[in-house]
Amino acid sequence: MQKNNIIIFGYETFGQYLYESLLDADYSIKIVSFDDKSISKAKEQNIDIIKIDIKKDSDIQSLDIDEYHDLLYCAMPKTADNLFLVLTLRALYKDAIIIAMSNSHENTRKLRYAGASNIVDMYEATSRRVVNILTKPAVTKALDEIVYKQNRLKMAEIKIPKNSPLVGKSIEDVDFKEMGIVLIAIIDKDLDHKFSFTDHRINHRLDENDTLVVVAMRDDLEIFKSNLTNR
Amino acid sequence: MDNKPWLVSLAYYLASSRKYQKTKDFFYNLLENSHYKYNKFFNIFMIIVVLVSVTSLVIDVQYDIPNWLNNFDLYFVTIVFIVEYILRIWVYSDIKKIIIEEYEERIFFGKKLSLIRLYIKIFKNKWIYISSLPSIIDLLAILPSYRGLRALRVLILFRAFKMLRYTKSLTGFLDVLKRKKTELLTLFTLAGFFIFIAGIMLYVIEGNKNPHIHNLFDAFYWALVTISTVGYGDIVPVTPEGRAVSMLIIATGVGLIAFITSVIVSAFSERISSLREEKVFQDMSKKRRLTVLCGYGLLGRLIAKGLEKEKIDFIVLDIDEKMIALADNDGYYALNADATKSKIFEEIGLKDNIAHVLCMTSDDIQNAFIAVNVKSLNQDILVTARCSDSDVAKKLEFVKVDHIIMPEDIAGKMGVVYAGEPAAFEVLLSIIEHKNKTQIDEINITAGSSFDGKSIKEIDFNSLRLIFLGVFKANKEMGDFGSFIFNPQKEYILHGGDKLVCIGYQTAIANVKRMV
Repeated sequence: MQKNNIIIFGYETFGQYLYESLLDADYSIKIVSFDDKSISKAKEQNIDIIKIDIKKDSDIQSLDIDEYHDLLYCAMPKTADNLFLVLTLRALYKDAIIIAMSNSHENTRKLRYAGASNIVDMYEATSRRVVNILTKPAVTKALDEIVYKQNRLKMAEIKIPKNSPLVGKSIEDVDFKEMGIVLIAIIDKDLDHKFSFTDHRINHRLDENDTLVVVAMRDDLEIFKSNLTNR
Repeated sequence: MDNKPWLVSLAYYLASSRKYQKTKDFFYNLLENSHYKYNKFFNIFMIIVVLVSVTSLVIDVQYDIPNWLNNFDLYFVTIVFIVEYILRIWVYSDIKKIIIEEYEERIFFGKKLSLIRLYIKIFKNKWIYISSLPSIIDLLAILPSYRGLRALRVLILFRAFKMLRYTKSLTGFLDVLKRKKTELLTLFTLAGFFIFIAGIMLYVIEGNKNPHIHNLFDAFYWALVTISTVGYGDIVPVTPEGRAVSMLIIATGVGLIAFITSVIVSAFSERISSLREEKVFQDMSKKRRLTVLCGYGLLGRLIAKGLEKEKIDFIVLDIDEKMIALADNDGYYALNADATKSKIFEEIGLKDNIAHVLCMTSDDIQNAFIAVNVKSLNQDILVTARCSDSDVAKKLEFVKVDHIIMPEDIAGKMGVVYAGEPAAFEVLLSIIEHKNKTQIDEINITAGSSFDGKSIKEIDFNSLRLIFLGVFKANKEMGDFGSFIFNPQKEYILHGGDKLVCIGYQTAIANVKRMV
């Protein structure tokens, strides 16, 4: 899979966490900010940071954004700034993937309307987690391992390539379990890119370009991925 | 020690009898404990009895009442009142303790137990209750049943008074008035003073001219009727001097009444918030395993919604009155209180009631403060604290906060998932935020259930329509559960106490939960 460039707008708390987490995942990252305080903080930490004025289109254009490959994170602390940034970016780059930070349901709606491709609602995920701690401790721990720690287990999506041995088989014929893979959902290329959970209902026949969403140990995942093409 | 007086033996016997103590506790709760669930029913029952008896006595004044009603009033109501009176005296204090203490003290000093002294001591103890106002009212309320003396009928008034005991709103009203005692006393003294002066003046001026004023009492009566702006008009001043006095006290009266009204009204409006608070405390004290949510900001609101959905009892604390009004509007229990102080937690019931405290204000330092406060009060309470700064997180770990939540970190991690796997991200969001009816859940296997001792293969999660992620093995030594075993082998045997983590359709999960 093509490694994307990542551009993070804003280097306040969320931007910092995002940056740190992304570092582990080995991406090339550009950080952009207009806030002097966070710029000086980044410099203290020896992190390259580009200062721009988000109101100026020329400033943003000077970042050389490749709208087909770059991932744009709008991680400003203020929703108003994020909203404005999303609007600007969307106007300039029609096909770019823009991910915005939100802190409420209401702002999520606005950001989506402004053109964000996807939105991370910070408080929604947090509140769900707090409630889970109380009611579903095992689920909390499991999600910790799969999503938040990511050192052993990983959630991943795998596109089935052409000529893969999986093509033409139905889900039930493939013993994912034996390979250490838990298949959670599947995105059928024919079905409008909506995912469906593989818990029941349909016995799906796999085609090339279908996407599998799986959870697996990192090693098993690598083996599975290489087997997809080799065999 | 066989030469104990029978009274002392009885006291020892009762002290060791659990049945006796249980019975006594039951009656105490029924009569006096407003938190007890049946106390309400008892009060309603008594109110009905009182109303029936008062009605029948009132009708009896002019009409003949049917014989059965008369008997009902004479026997049933009287017996209920007498039994209640005796029960209240009984549960008021613990006599056997007094007897035993006295006896053991005497033995200790090697003296002989004086029974008379003991009786006096017991009587003195109960007399405190018997001579209290509610008790006197109770006693007087019994008397109208005695038909021989018609004059005793006046005492039905006390039956009506008795109702005060059973209605909290009425006692609340009296409480409110009590709080404004000084103000009201001043105003009534002032009113009394004016009535006194005006009465005497009118009597002096018109005592021998006005045909309606026969004595000083008539003059006082006129002054009260006038000053209160009631003005019956049965006694009116006939001389210009008398009228001048009238004018004066009418003007005073209007002001005075407005004044008294405003004092009472303000007393009530001051009390309304605390009455509401009392109600919250009362409801909370009935709950076990309560969750306290500190901070009702954006995050707090979402958590409250989640807790409500999961049917967890919780109470919202916030120092901002506006936030409390908001929570109140949303239909949650909410108190305007400072969670960094121990007082509020003690009032809610630290030892038994609070199971979990969530520190979710937007300020890291506040959250840490609350966490330290709660942990220092009771280590057993689980604390979940939010923070944005990883340095603060270290400090929270140091004070043994059970769960540390960092919203930015969580969102950051999710952002990372998105970077590599946008489709996986969609799926994840759907599972985490319950956007779909398919959700992630845990299933506890109880010992001896149909899953206990079976292998993964035998259970066949596919046919149960579940995606099986893994299992947490029961770990008795830790009292908790161990590490997550992801996607165990087909031969893996499940045991009672294990927790399965599955993804599935709501109904499929509910179905399996019923099976285990």
